Amino acid sequence: MPVLTIASSKGGPGKTTVCQVLAASLAPCYRLAVLDADPTQALSRWARTAYEGTSFEAIAESDETRLAHLIGSKADTMDLVLVDTAGFGNRAATVAMTSADAVLIPTLAGEADVTEAEKTIRLVEGLARAARRDIPARVILNRVRRTSLARHADAELKAAKLPRLQASLSDLVAYGELSYSGRLPSAGTAGAEIAALLAELRNMKWLPELRNYVGA
Amino acid sequence: MKASLKPRRPSPDEALAIATSTAPQQPPAQINEPLMADTPTTLNLRIRRSTVSAIEATAKERGLTMKQVVAQALQAAGVTVAAADLEDRTPRRR
Repeated sequence: MPVLTIASSKGGPGKTTVCQVLAASLAPCYRLAVLDADPTQALSRWARTAYEGTSFEAIAESDETRLAHLIGSKADTMDLVLVDTAGFGNRAATVAMTSADAVLIPTLAGEADVTEAEKTIRLVEGLARAARRDIPARVILNRVRRTSLARHADAELKAAKLPRLQASLSDLVAYGELSYSGRLPSAGTAGAEIAALLAELRNMKWLPELRNYVGA
Repeated sequence: MKASLKPRRPSPDEALAIATSTAPQQPPAQINEPLMADTPTTLNLRIRRSTVSAIEATAKERGLTMKQVVAQALQAAGVTVAAADLEDRTPRRR
């Protein structure tokens, strides 16, 4: 079943935060495996020590060979596999993108972030060509502030013809709190943004159908 | 599933080969540090004179160095002690 890789060749755009949001949101719906390919193991540590919601399988693995086999085996047995990757160009992240059914690329509004998001998109395109399969990729703007800088970043993404999600995550304390509290924001702006993100992913068929699952 | 998400995922070996050939310059996510050589270093302990005297007396009694007394006691307590630290390595006069 689907493998969704969260990747970016730049550190700090919120890959782990997006992965935390998705894992906490989707764990009640699916048999979910989350593979943490970042050597910092921030995501798997969070899952083990802070997360308070429906349990899911979280495995830390940053060796590209073992990760490739792990993705293959979990894709066969789980409903959904999320892969969080390290924030620099590395083999494990590239393998995770090659094996993915879709790649989500968080980015901030800065010039370097947008440039690296474009590099990541181009890398996914190259991997898809080499693998002779479609690997759709979308940029998601993270820590958005309603400023002229964010509008400029949005314009840059459009100018570069980078495919992006309409959904975005704002610069909210609720997302930062998630990393400590393990509790998913379910109300307010954060709750609405998460709902919009999930709806868009479902519309794109990046998530499995819900109708066959208990709790859907 | 949407048609664009083809069921045919590359095998692990194929994924590795594609990743390596498409981005050959990329490093591993984590580089294992070579095992550090077990070189000598120092451990300074601030302990009472009486304890030092007791260690000294025990060493003299057993024909050991003070370091050997401490190292043997640590080993007896279950601490993994390097073999070199259990030996008398006092420089000898020629």
